[in-house]
Amino acid sequence: MTELSRAQIRELMGQVLKNQGKVLPDDDGADLREVGFRSLDFSELALRVEDETGEELNFDAPGLRRIATVGDVLDFLVELQRQ
Amino acid sequence: MMSDSATPALLVPPSTVVLVSGGSRGLGLAIVTDLLESGLKVAAFARTVTPELAKLADAHPDRSHVDSVDVTDLAATQAFVRAAEGRLGPIDGLVNNAAVGQDSLHVHTANADIARIIETNLTAPLQLTRLVVRRMLAQGRRGRIVNVTSICAQRGFPGLVAYSATKGGMDAATRSLARELGGRVLVNAVAPGFFASEMSAVLGQTQLDQIVRRTPTGHLTEPAEVVPVVRLLLRDQTNINGQAIVVDGAASI
Repeated sequence: MTELSRAQIRELMGQVLKNQGKVLPDDDGADLREVGFRSLDFSELALRVEDETGEELNFDAPGLRRIATVGDVLDFLVELQRQ
Repeated sequence: MMSDSATPALLVPPSTVVLVSGGSRGLGLAIVTDLLESGLKVAAFARTVTPELAKLADAHPDRSHVDSVDVTDLAATQAFVRAAEGRLGPIDGLVNNAAVGQDSLHVHTANADIARIIETNLTAPLQLTRLVVRRMLAQGRRGRIVNVTSICAQRGFPGLVAYSATKGGMDAATRSLARELGGRVLVNAVAPGFFASEMSAVLGQTQLDQIVRRTPTGHLTEPAEVVPVVRLLLRDQTNINGQAIVVDGAASI
């Protein structure tokens, strides 16, 4: 299985936001609410990662509720690919 | 098709021997407890017999039959029903309570998990119902069925797509069964709102407070508030049939 790196996921995240006229900040500590990155945006990003790797990424919602920053998103998806 | 009109004037008596699926914890355990305390005979199964259920069975050895059964294992449920009837007498009440939950967005729920939720929450209770009703009809008995569904069957909630589909399916089956069984078996559903215990497991205090504020009665539903409705449907003479009764403090209204 091909895994995407943290940087590659960050690039995809930037594309998801750019399509909505938003900008992904450089700071991994940026708050998702301030960035305007919502739960469905997270789904879109996860599905884009799936497209790239060819592997389904399934997960429960409680894990998502702990995600608050850009770095949390990247960490979550990096970890999810390894499961 | 032969006439399906109901036989007039013959009422369905209160249930005396009730089978409860998923009776080991939460609402199921509360229902088993209440029915035993009300003097009924109760057969209860769950995937795992918890110490609480075992203790309850020990306290009522002559009026209870408890075992570890997976509701999706049809052969095991058939064996349980036979054993329960051999010990307690013919089953004339069924509470379909066993179910698995969900907390994942539909697009991120594995296909195998969707299949498991449907098998446990929809296929299995339909098959258990079929099994129990066949025995009731073959022996010329009347009976009552209570399906424990959910407010999810009637209102939309993210993260509960497959779960909602199964509960909506059981609400629909409740109506059709009530028609099909022509008054020989009363079939109803009880649809609780979210329980405080399950909500607190996945939501933060802020979100819980918001939900409570939107609930006219000012509190989330507790199993103890659902139990009397189940007992009423099993025991009282009401002519309620084919209904899904929501118990949620009007949160969904």
